[in-house]
Amino acid sequence: MSDVKKEFVQLLANYGHVGFTFVASIIIGLGGGIYLDQKVFDGRTSPWFTFIGLAFGIAAGYKTLLEILWRNKEKQEKPKQEDKRIE
Amino acid sequence: MEHPILFISIILEKLGLPIPHGPVGHTFLEQLCAPYMTYTWLVMAFLFLVSKLTLGNLEMVPGKGQNFWELVIGGMDDFFADNMGREMADKFFPMIATFALYIAVANLIGLIPGFMSPTSSLNTTLALTLIVWISHHIIGFKEHGLHYYKHFIGPVWWLIPLLLPIELISNLARLLSLSIRLFGNIMAKETLLAILFMLAGSFFAPLPIMILGVLVSVVQAMVFVLLTVVYFSQAQAHAH
Repeated sequence: MSDVKKEFVQLLANYGHVGFTFVASIIIGLGGGIYLDQKVFDGRTSPWFTFIGLAFGIAAGYKTLLEILWRNKEKQEKPKQEDKRIE
Repeated sequence: MEHPILFISIILEKLGLPIPHGPVGHTFLEQLCAPYMTYTWLVMAFLFLVSKLTLGNLEMVPGKGQNFWELVIGGMDDFFADNMGREMADKFFPMIATFALYIAVANLIGLIPGFMSPTSSLNTTLALTLIVWISHHIIGFKEHGLHYYKHFIGPVWWLIPLLLPIELISNLARLLSLSIRLFGNIMAKETLLAILFMLAGSFFAPLPIMILGVLVSVVQAMVFVLLTVVYFSQAQAHAH
């Protein structure tokens, strides 16, 4: 594989899953909230745990998003520091 | 939704074995003969045979077959070492490299008419993901003991009710996103190819999608492997 293609595939691998992970977090949060409402408390607490779960899910989604960004930022800064050490 | 003709299923049916017509069979034998199972074995047999034939006897001056494998294995080894360090790469190379080869071949095999990708069934991808998910917890626990669970509760005690659900949800989201991404991408490719084959197969309509399918297969295999590497190195590095 040529260098451009390799970089393209690596970029896709690094950032291509951002959207999916975001959605997965929200779905798990919302699903957990609905489960608590409907199964554990039999619908007595009805909309509340759903909303709380949704909020936690969205927060977790943003957390994973930021984690991906920070991880790749660190990776980009690391080679620069190594260069400085050599100098 | 599958390819219209799966030749292993036809052969098995001629031999008198039951082939499930729904997505999942009812009896044990039917489940064993489900297309994703038979094609999983085909991919396994393919990997075994090809490596046996090309790597039968290792030589100092590599021939064609050995040269190919040295390129593949060397490339993967460098990639792992870059992302998770030499020590971890040496420790987990057999597992992750097997995943990479298996997923790549399993994705690409679906492009040939008469074959299907085993990874276009959620059962296969969920099994792979569960192995990765459980082993990254085991790595973290082995490395840090009970301190591993400290990163679930955050830095200060009064943030626990806020951070614990977030951390748990984002950890479980790995399980969901890793399995469903691979399954969804490959199943979409398979379904699209099957539909185009049925609609306009004689006008080569599936060809452009096949080119995209090669890219999707390689990228999805790489995404799976990269995320496995990242999760392993994160679990090992969580010292704070």
